[in-house]
Amino acid sequence: METYLQITSIWGVYLTAFVFFAGMGVRIYQWATTPRSPVPFGMFPKPATRGGRIAAMLRDTFVAPHSAQIEPRMWTFAMLFHLAALAAFVGHLRLVQEYPVLPKLLGTEGMNSFAAWAGGIAGTLMMVAVLYWIGRRTFGAFKNLSVPEDYLLLGLLLGVIVMGNHMRFFGDVHAAEYRAWFQSLLLFRPHIPEEIMTSNVGWSLGTHMLFVDLFLMYFPFSKLVHAVGAFATNLTRSE
Amino acid sequence: MDAQALQTIVGVIDKRMTRQVKQYLDICARCAICKDACHQYVGTDDLTYLPARRAELIRQVYKKYFDSAGRLVPALYEARDPDDALLDELYTSCYACTGCRRCMYYCPFSIDTQQIVAIGKAMLIAVGRGQEMLGQLADAALFKGENVEMFRDVLVSGFKDIEAEVREITGDPEATIPVDKQGADILYVALAGAHSIRPAAVIFHEAGVDWTISLFEAANYGYFFGDPEKARLIAKRFMDEAKRLGVKEVVVPECGHAYRVAEIFYEAWAKEALPFKVSHILEVVDRLIKQGRITVEKGRIEGRVTYHDPCQIARNGGIYEQPRDVVRALTDDFVDLIPNRAEQWCCGGGGGIVAIDELRDVRLKSGSKKVEQLKASGASVLACPCENCRLQIEDLNEMHGLGLQVRQVIDLVVEAMPLPRSASAS
Ligand code: SF4
Ligand code: SF4
Repeated sequence: METYLQITSIWGVYLTAFVFFAGMGVRIYQWATTPRSPVPFGMFPKPATRGGRIAAMLRDTFVAPHSAQIEPRMWTFAMLFHLAALAAFVGHLRLVQEYPVLPKLLGTEGMNSFAAWAGGIAGTLMMVAVLYWIGRRTFGAFKNLSVPEDYLLLGLLLGVIVMGNHMRFFGDVHAAEYRAWFQSLLLFRPHIPEEIMTSNVGWSLGTHMLFVDLFLMYFPFSKLVHAVGAFATNLTRSE
Repeated sequence: MDAQALQTIVGVIDKRMTRQVKQYLDICARCAICKDACHQYVGTDDLTYLPARRAELIRQVYKKYFDSAGRLVPALYEARDPDDALLDELYTSCYACTGCRRCMYYCPFSIDTQQIVAIGKAMLIAVGRGQEMLGQLADAALFKGENVEMFRDVLVSGFKDIEAEVREITGDPEATIPVDKQGADILYVALAGAHSIRPAAVIFHEAGVDWTISLFEAANYGYFFGDPEKARLIAKRFMDEAKRLGVKEVVVPECGHAYRVAEIFYEAWAKEALPFKVSHILEVVDRLIKQGRITVEKGRIEGRVTYHDPCQIARNGGIYEQPRDVVRALTDDFVDLIPNRAEQWCCGGGGGIVAIDELRDVRLKSGSKKVEQLKASGASVLACPCENCRLQIEDLNEMHGLGLQVRQVIDLVVEAMPLPRSASAS
């Protein structure tokens, strides 16, 4: 157990952080150093001002109203996934630092059950969305459009979510212990607290982190760079 | 595929790559939201015509030669060499694409499949697999550009014939089609064929516009073929003419891509600012009606009239309202197609596909949405300001027995003008 956690949840995390940021850096550098087309690709109607263009880009990127119009179901699942992922991300910030106000208001018990509910809902929604995507891709009339990359990413994502949910629903370890582990990583004095190691979810943390590591290391080399690129391409829409 | 051809293809991708297209290739999620936006995929249910699939073929080669992950684990991206099978599918999917960019409108990342397809066409051209007919038409236009004196007499005598008709229609024996008129306000660049010249000449004459006609046509097969250099040179023929004559405005006819080439692309291609403005003929006609320089009467056009937005002047050119205002000036019974404007369905006839025999089948199938729209409108007259759209919709009209009159907008305008012989103007 200790070796497994050391690999996936300590050294794997450092390696992942390096690969992720370096990979994204290289990708953005490649984009930035490729000359733009001199021909404008924008479509009409176009906002007249720079502010208007940026507002339209943000709307198109975060809300994708046109996609909603043409395939509402896919849009709904995509929205659910991205919002739930955002909620999960915000939830995971507790690993860095406990929230300032909420725990005082709710008390330790209240905070734990709030986190259980919020995290549980987010985790469930993400899982449902990923399963929908796998189904749509596998059984849709356009299934031959997919390439292995698509399934690899969905598989890794499913692994991350299922193991996260397992810790959330079946674990009796709470945020404080996980925070001790994560803060130790940030301070470069990594260690895994005894409470996690001896709990029933030590191996789920290890496996959760294994999937997280693989997912984030692959991120910069996959289509997921849309997380950054979509801002640029949606701005091109109005150039 | 021999090594030489492979190298040529890879070189072309490298040369034609732009930041935007690189981003498109890198970020497409293969979510297939674009599938229902494309009239060809909707009309055929064939994966070849799914927008992201068209891009996928180019992406497969790009991944293999321009992406470290693709080089390392090609199987993950189905990255591969451009073999015969790939190039065959690429030919069909690229030359079938009408460049309507309806897929871009609905894509969550606004991916411009037309620009990716442009790289696909460049790959094909590089290894001698460009569409032959489009290539020949482009070369013919270039030949004419270089040898215009050879054509002058025939052209001028053609203009004289049309002039005679204009005199009859307007009842004015002095009406002319001015050629090479130095210092005219407008240079009208028509299409090959009297139909795009006669009604425009009538309108210009009645409005007292100081105009002159171009010796060249506005249609640009270099653009359809997929060779931006040829496209530039074809447009340059009349841009140079306009500069030489010192006109204030170049007016393109009812032809979608001609407008986009002249107004949106040309300055960037030629790396120069034009000393005159570029307008679509319907922008000018709208202006003339609103200024009261021509008179149109309602009631002369019978039946309900609807309007089709050609993709290249509407979604891709920004002209939505002027043609509608023109049509509304001609009739009280106007109804828009649904959806319309930026969401208008492509008719299926753009991108040069009407000139490609082997794609006739897909082209006709891809009109299914347009047919539905037209039927639902209950209109008996279609005002349609683009030659390619009209050719396609005429075919659909016949095939589906729609009983529609498919008309140029300027023909309808002339018909609504109180002239001695307006009824037979077209
Ligand atoms: S909608 Fe856009 S991102 Fe989705 S498959 Fe089509 S081109 Fe790719
Ligand atoms: S530009 Fe038009 S024809 Fe081409 S793939 Fe997109 S929707 Fe289809």
